[in-house]
Amino acid sequence: MIYLDSAATTLQKPAAVAASAAWAVGHLASPGRGGHKPAMAAAETAFACREAAARLFHVDDPEQVVFTFNATHGLNIAIKTLARPGSRVVISGWEHNAVTRPLHALDVDLRVARGGLFDQEAVLKDFRRELNRGADLVVCTHVSNVFGFILPIEDIAALCRERGVPLIVDASQSAGVLPLDFQALGAAFAAMPGHKGLYGPQGTGLLLCGVDPAPLLEGGTGSESKRQAMPDFLPDRLEAGTYNITGIAGLLEGLRFLQRRGLERVAAGESQLIRHMGEGLTAIPGAEAFLAADPSVQTGVLSFRLRGQDCEDVGEALGEQGIALRAGLHCAPLAHESGGTLDTGTVRASVSVFNTDREISQFLRAVREIARPRT
Amino acid sequence: MLYYLIVCRSLTYAQRTAAALERAGITARVLRSPKSIAGEGCSHSVKISQRRLPDALRILQRVGLTPKRVYITAGDGSYQEVAL
Repeated sequence: MIYLDSAATTLQKPAAVAASAAWAVGHLASPGRGGHKPAMAAAETAFACREAAARLFHVDDPEQVVFTFNATHGLNIAIKTLARPGSRVVISGWEHNAVTRPLHALDVDLRVARGGLFDQEAVLKDFRRELNRGADLVVCTHVSNVFGFILPIEDIAALCRERGVPLIVDASQSAGVLPLDFQALGAAFAAMPGHKGLYGPQGTGLLLCGVDPAPLLEGGTGSESKRQAMPDFLPDRLEAGTYNITGIAGLLEGLRFLQRRGLERVAAGESQLIRHMGEGLTAIPGAEAFLAADPSVQTGVLSFRLRGQDCEDVGEALGEQGIALRAGLHCAPLAHESGGTLDTGTVRASVSVFNTDREISQFLRAVREIARPRT
Repeated sequence: MLYYLIVCRSLTYAQRTAAALERAGITARVLRSPKSIAGEGCSHSVKISQRRLPDALRILQRVGLTPKRVYITAGDGSYQEVAL
């Protein structure tokens, strides 16, 4: 199988991820819930994971690194901490439902800084315009999960800092691929999954906290047990209930892998693969690839369409040939609306460090065959 | 043997405290706080030897982890709070 769906979940992981998660099942108990060896070993694993994440994302203090079940969980905490009904919230035109649905549920006054696909200047201009109208909160993805478009998050963060508007960063597609300096951004929160670019197992995620959060769940934390209010300190305030320590053990190995490899090498490798893919698709008659003219504004995610063919049929046909990717709207109708693909959807291919040029060539041969006009 | 317990607000805070001490060459172990000193219920403490307290306090102050409560073991198994 050729796996090209890493924007959803990286399937191939460093070997240590599965080994560590499997070992954890029989050896790690619940951190903070006992003084025995398996509980303390679990606590050490959890702390090592917080420290590794704090180093990778330039977070001052490992206590600001909170474990979540995925990015959606973290985004819900962040959004529900800072947004209220009627809040003026500015988002980009490239957001996932993990951002737009919680905002919709809160009935905020939503404003979209759309910009244009692969046009960072236009995005920035629209954010400036919307922020000048007055805003209570900005929520912005770092990278579009549909098009791999890298948003100018440092510049957007600067606009927010100048105006004192809190910023929530959805780092679902950038964590582990692009540098993210949480301290320099001055963001209120950054949420990310563990199972994509961080190469951890599903059911893991991280929320980096720059402001005091409101708990989404209440329950046992292994601390201040006599009090009925949730602890007012991190990470306990947001970590009610037993952690996914087996997942965290795997995530720790994913973070160590990235630390050894270096994000620059990760990004360069993925960019090279996506250029190969995009240029190959562009040469296929009837294929339309959403490839940025400037490689520096696109990660290892690429959408394409085949003229006259339903994107789901294309995805299915590729699946039958052993090529795993995702078709449809990718839980991001707003991004498709902004990109002009809402009516058709797209087929999305996304790579990881484990893909090769040879696999991309095989993928292109398969697409060429599917795109060939039937007689 | 006499030892000190630095009572921390959370497990993670205790781990940060122990890590800072270990980096400075002071042996430090995280353990659950004895119930009699745990405060608002469950908490975690960092155990250090009696002779390292002054060094430990200096290091923790330098890294911004100044302890709020420190206890010393008494011969009868009870704990006495140390004035900081």
